[in-house]
Amino acid sequence: MTVAFMRNKVVEVEPVAPDELVVYWRLSDDLLNMEMTISVRLPDLEIIAADARVHRGIHRGGIDAGDAVKKIIGVHVGPGLRKIVRGLLGGAAGNVDLTEGVLECCNAVILHFTLPAIHMGEGLKDLPLDEQMEMARFMLKSNPRLLRSCVAFADDSPIVMGLRA
Amino acid sequence: MAMITFSRSQLISAEFPDDATIRFHGTQEDHIYAMGVTMDVRIADGTILAIQGWMKRYTTPVCPKAVAVLQNAVGMKLRGIEWMSGIMKNIGQKGCEHFAEIINECGRCLDQARMARDCAALLQKDPSADLAVASAQWLEDHPEKEGRPVMVTIGKP
Repeated sequence: MTVAFMRNKVVEVEPVAPDELVVYWRLSDDLLNMEMTISVRLPDLEIIAADARVHRGIHRGGIDAGDAVKKIIGVHVGPGLRKIVRGLLGGAAGNVDLTEGVLECCNAVILHFTLPAIHMGEGLKDLPLDEQMEMARFMLKSNPRLLRSCVAFADDSPIVMGLRA
Repeated sequence: MAMITFSRSQLISAEFPDDATIRFHGTQEDHIYAMGVTMDVRIADGTILAIQGWMKRYTTPVCPKAVAVLQNAVGMKLRGIEWMSGIMKNIGQKGCEHFAEIINECGRCLDQARMARDCAALLQKDPSADLAVASAQWLEDHPEKEGRPVMVTIGKP
């Protein structure tokens, strides 16, 4: 069966200076082609620039993505981000692809910082299972916010139960 | 110019196996995680009818248990107030956040895919049809489509 619709999305993080990351985000589907660029200053993760452009779309009117996304300048990537961004960009009355795109950019910044620690653990995949579990427990101890965030760190997970034993 | 340090791609495709159902195939791949889902959704109310998932890349030996948690999504709706939060809570927090991200992206494509299908059908009948007019009419006829569209801004000073 042929598909009636396809959507491609990509988000990329590029460190452009020791104290600045730029996030590039693009969406392309049958009806829409939009891109966004967000600059984040380190170490406080403040969004210092934001721009968005719609290259292709079928709607004659609607939200100006470039104007809308500038509202997030000054926001910090951190706790409460979802509520803040959804509030600034209009919630259900705004454009969901634009709003979620901003959140995806911010999530990519967090994963940019997560990746090195994950990479360090790469060589441990051949270790016995109990040692892999110990590594996961170390990960949880280093970042307690992971607790109850997913099945791996749920109360009944062998990772968490082993930590409490 | 420096290297890219993190990249994520999402690909969502939609089929219409019958008039009442939309079938999504969604994949998400990045430097850390890779997984995907296939799910059938009832068009009339956005209810997830069936779902399957797979994981290719993950971070702990426990992560694959999230595949079974995907069945909690059957019966959930991709419409209504806070539907994305519901998916994140029931599939993300109880299973895997990245599965939830894919389901939510599929959900955001639900009306976009319907509109694309209808626009394609219109162009087949009338290649000179004005899609701006057609899309405005589509939005009027489908109040279930939440939010507002974005307008083309390229070339804007």
